[in-house]
Amino acid sequence: MDENVAASGSNDDDGIREQDQLLPIANVGRIMKQMLPQNAKISKEAKETMQECVSEFISFVTSEASDKCRKERRKTVNGDDVCSALAALGFDDYAAPLRRYFNRYRDLGVDNKAANQDKANNDSNSNEDREEQSSLKFSMIGISKNSSMRPID
Amino acid sequence: MRQAGTYSGILSGGISGKTGPHLLPLARIKKIMKKSGDDVKMISGESPIVFSKACELFIKELTQRSWSVTMQGKRRTLNKEDVAAAVMATDLFDFLVNLVSESGEATTPLEMDTFKSS
Repeated sequence: MDENVAASGSNDDDGIREQDQLLPIANVGRIMKQMLPQNAKISKEAKETMQECVSEFISFVTSEASDKCRKERRKTVNGDDVCSALAALGFDDYAAPLRRYFNRYRDLGVDNKAANQDKANNDSNSNEDREEQSSLKFSMIGISKNSSMRPID
Repeated sequence: MRQAGTYSGILSGGISGKTGPHLLPLARIKKIMKKSGDDVKMISGESPIVFSKACELFIKELTQRSWSVTMQGKRRTLNKEDVAAAVMATDLFDFLVNLVSESGEATTPLEMDTFKSS
C-alpha cells in the first residue's frame, strides 16, 4: 500500500496549496452540497481538504493510465486509458458508467465531425477551439436524449 | 440542413461559463494531470472530460461517507476531520491517507462498524 501512496504523492509541494493545482473551491463545494441535506453546512477546511483529495485522485489515476500507455508504447493518454486505470485502481463502480458516458460522447463526436468541418474551415482551428468543440459535442449528450439529433446506430 | 444558430444558442449558454456543461474546469484538470508525472506528455481532448465526471463521482462518494461521520457525531457541519475519518475507513481511499493526516492533526479513526468498504 505504501508504494501506491508514495507514487501518487510525488509532488514536492507537500503542505503548500498551489491554487492552480487544485480545482476551484466553489465548484468542489457545489458538488459536495448536492449530496447533503438542505440545512447541512460544510466547513471551509473540509472543502479545502476535498480539493486536495480530488487533485490527488487525478494524479493517482493519471499515473496509472500513463504507465499503461508507456507499456503499450503509446504517447497519448485517452479516455479509455482513464477508464481502465479507474477500474485497475478499484474504482470499478465509476468505470462502467463512465465508459457508457464516454462512448456516447464519442459517438456524438463522430457524428458531429461532418457538421463541424464547415465551421472548422472558416475558423482558425486552435487547440482551444478544438477543446471547446469537444465541450460542444459533450453537451450534446444532455440534449440528444430526447431530441431527434441522436445518431442512428 | 443544420442551423449553426440553433446549436450555438443552446450550447453557448453552457460554454460561455468557465466550466461549460461540465461541473469542473477542463483546463485545470488537464494541468493537474500533466503535473502527475514527467512521462505524462500528451493528453487526448476527451480525458479531462472523462475525469470531470470521475471527479464528480469521487467527490460525491467521499462527501457521502464524510457526512455519515458528521451525523454519527450528531452535527450538521461537515468538517475536515469527518473527511479524514471517511478516508481512514475506506480501503479505496488508501491513497489519501497521508494527505489527510498531514493536512492537520492525525485523526483517531472512529469505530467504523457501519462502514463496509468494498
